[in-house]
Amino acid sequence: MRSVTINPPRMCQPIGAMYATLGIHAAVPLVHGSQGCAAYPMRMFNRHFREPVQIAVTSLGESASVFGGRDNLIAAINNVITRRKPELISVITTCLSETIGDDIEGIVRETIYDLEETEGKDVVPIVTIHTPSYVGSHVTGYDNALKAFVMHLSKECDESNEKLNIIPGMINPGDIQEIKKMLDLFNVSYTIISDISDTLDAPLIMPKPPFPNGGSTVTEIEKCTDAYGVISLCEHEGGSAAKFLEGKYGMRSNAVCPIGVSKTDQFVEVITDITEKVAPYEIEKERGKLIDAMVDVHQITYGKKAAIFADPDIALGIAEFASELGMEVVVLASSTSSNAFMNAAKEISDGEILNGKDLYDLHKAVKETDADILFGNTMCKKSIPAGEDDVAFVRCGFPVYDRVGYYRYGIMGYHGGIYLLDLITNTILDRN
Amino acid sequence: MPLTLLNCDKSIPERKKHTYVKDSTEEILPLCNIQTTPGDFTERGCTYAGCMGVVGGPVKDVIHLVHGPIGCAYWTWGGGTRPNLSDNPQFHQKYCFSTDMQEKNIIFGGNEKLYNAIIESYKEFPEAKGVFVYATCTIGLIGDDIKAVCKQAEEEIGIKVVGFNCEGFRGCSQSLGHHIANDTLFEQVVGTKEPEYTTDYDMNIMGDYNIKGDLWVIKPLFERMGIRILSTFTGNSSIDDIAQAHRAKLNLMHCQRSTPYICELIKEKYGIPYIKESLFGIEQTSKALRDVAAFFRLEEKAEEVIADEVSKIDPKIEEYRRKFEGKRIFIYQGAPRAWHWVRMFREIGIETIAAATTFGHEEDYAKICERVKDGTIIIDNPNAIEIEEILTELRPDIFISGLKEKYLAYKLGIPFINGHSYETGPYAGYSGLLNFAKDIEKAIFAPVWSMIRRRDAKCNY
Repeated sequence: MRSVTINPPRMCQPIGAMYATLGIHAAVPLVHGSQGCAAYPMRMFNRHFREPVQIAVTSLGESASVFGGRDNLIAAINNVITRRKPELISVITTCLSETIGDDIEGIVRETIYDLEETEGKDVVPIVTIHTPSYVGSHVTGYDNALKAFVMHLSKECDESNEKLNIIPGMINPGDIQEIKKMLDLFNVSYTIISDISDTLDAPLIMPKPPFPNGGSTVTEIEKCTDAYGVISLCEHEGGSAAKFLEGKYGMRSNAVCPIGVSKTDQFVEVITDITEKVAPYEIEKERGKLIDAMVDVHQITYGKKAAIFADPDIALGIAEFASELGMEVVVLASSTSSNAFMNAAKEISDGEILNGKDLYDLHKAVKETDADILFGNTMCKKSIPAGEDDVAFVRCGFPVYDRVGYYRYGIMGYHGGIYLLDLITNTILDRN
Repeated sequence: MPLTLLNCDKSIPERKKHTYVKDSTEEILPLCNIQTTPGDFTERGCTYAGCMGVVGGPVKDVIHLVHGPIGCAYWTWGGGTRPNLSDNPQFHQKYCFSTDMQEKNIIFGGNEKLYNAIIESYKEFPEAKGVFVYATCTIGLIGDDIKAVCKQAEEEIGIKVVGFNCEGFRGCSQSLGHHIANDTLFEQVVGTKEPEYTTDYDMNIMGDYNIKGDLWVIKPLFERMGIRILSTFTGNSSIDDIAQAHRAKLNLMHCQRSTPYICELIKEKYGIPYIKESLFGIEQTSKALRDVAAFFRLEEKAEEVIADEVSKIDPKIEEYRRKFEGKRIFIYQGAPRAWHWVRMFREIGIETIAAATTFGHEEDYAKICERVKDGTIIIDNPNAIEIEEILTELRPDIFISGLKEKYLAYKLGIPFINGHSYETGPYAGYSGLLNFAKDIEKAIFAPVWSMIRRRDAKCNY
């Protein structure tokens, strides 16, 4: 076990919490930390989504680091509320504020009390999220944020509204669109808890609204308890929130990442199961089109050796799909280590499983196994050692910024599967 | 009253002191280089960004090891958003090193992990000529003694191991990070190696980071005059170049915010004078060549180079000048480029109507004020909301800033150039000006701007 990490597979927790917040309408992530803790993630969002992103920071300086960040946090909350008029603020901690040990719950409670005294009206929800950078990864940060949102906002309701809750995880706007299309075909009403499909893929129409249109509303999240079930698409990113809803409100909870044929079949079954609605012919038709596309190219995909690197659930999903294409999964790597990933990965692949190992190890494994095709994000691409770049490379995950448009197209669902398949096949063809 | 409070700042009146509308009858400098108002949507980064991201990071043949939790290393991987080109990109832009501090390391201290990480990195990459260790926020709080660990590791592996105490929370912006990098490199690297030989015409270029190859167009200009560039700080720089920087006859300072400290230290200790120059635009680049020539007594050669370079671009620049005449620009940069570029843009017909810096000091604002016309808004450390107000109110023909502001400008329908990492580049020197003008042409005259529609006013959103 090396002490040094060379070419890290993961980012730190706060960016996951920011990602989750940006899917809530008119919400402002407020990072309690150093200025870089907001500036750097902002750039990552800008590069991947090519959208403006506003993240506030408490700008902790030397004295705040010694004497505590209380005054900065209070001032920041007040300034964000007055100048941005958000509908929700998420206070996101960092390694700095966690090490200082600020009592953010206490400070927030006190700030709300003072604001309500002076303003004489309710203050917008302020959700505190603990995301120390020295624990877990961006995946953990997203999961913690989603759990904090549902714990803080959800309210007991009397009757079911016949809706389905979907917790997407750190997937792309295009993926969420695919999921929405499927649910629409099913004629199922739904609440996407943290919906970035419009907030991080916004149209250019003047005048620019103060906040991007779209996103889950605070009210929707408050009322998510009267749904008849919750599905988390990435169990590592939102699974805790689903468990909470299940535990507290007795809601049916499922986790399935609909990438490839069998996982999407499973997704459809879960929807049918929870909603008691039968899948319409249109869904079957999309499935048939995916199968048709797979038949068309099986001569090209079969027998290829695949190495896959992504966040845990996405990696497993792509691995499953690769197997369905007749590929041999020789390396299966997760950005973030977890027992759940390890167990599931062993089921899918007899190859090398890298559970949170760095990309330096990943590329060694890619070379050793003589993989034909590698799946990964931009960092994975740019860290391929010199002279070893004859492997076909398919971009997926976050961040992808060395090519345009990846956030726009989904790889989830049957239709998304066709897009991913074409991407894979064309990449192989380009190599040959 | 030339100090102004923007509409969006009504609730944070302290911002008034940072916002000055130039009035030559009442000259003042906006308040600068102080702590940011918390939660104001600042665009500033941290001290680590200034030290590792700007000054240290471009050094091409050392292991840049970030000591702290994983994020900070990830953000600056291969320069992050900064295209600091080098002739050794397979190393310096490909690999990212971190101690990836975990909770237990935070509790029990990270000295041992850091030591092991240095040794292991060197074993994996024995071709490295040094190791730079950067401390991030938590390291300062838990009190790891990185300097001592670096010293110990240096004895073990026999190459330079330099520790930078550049914790993100120190200072009020990236600026302190530049200072820390300067001081540390001066103390530990400069003067530790002698050049193979010296000439009477040895010069260092300080404060150029070879963004998209700026140095590769600047350096030949001086070389053609008969100057030898001994060391560049730190674009495309080897640690050895920095080590022998004390033997030059002159330091030419380009970025005057991130390198005045080391230039001053070298002057004090080794008696090497420095000159401050802008290497953007015809007039400023020519002035730099002439000033350097005057120092080395190479005036004639300088005039030859200038005449040749100018003749190559002048007709095209003249065309662009006619094309851009009357266009108005808002310049928002880290610091010096906000004033480097005012005169350069004037050369191609573009007038500055607003200028801002993220971490400028008083000297930067004095230089901006000297260069812009009355009525220009000069704003220190503008936050995202202020930038949106300025863009919406003034509707400049073009905005030049960085990645974080790029898509805001686009969403407002305002042409934009990334001045931090450039669109194409290089932008420095004579041929760079032509690249700059070409990119501006693309930005302003792209047909797409005329296709943007306004939402029906009746529509409710």
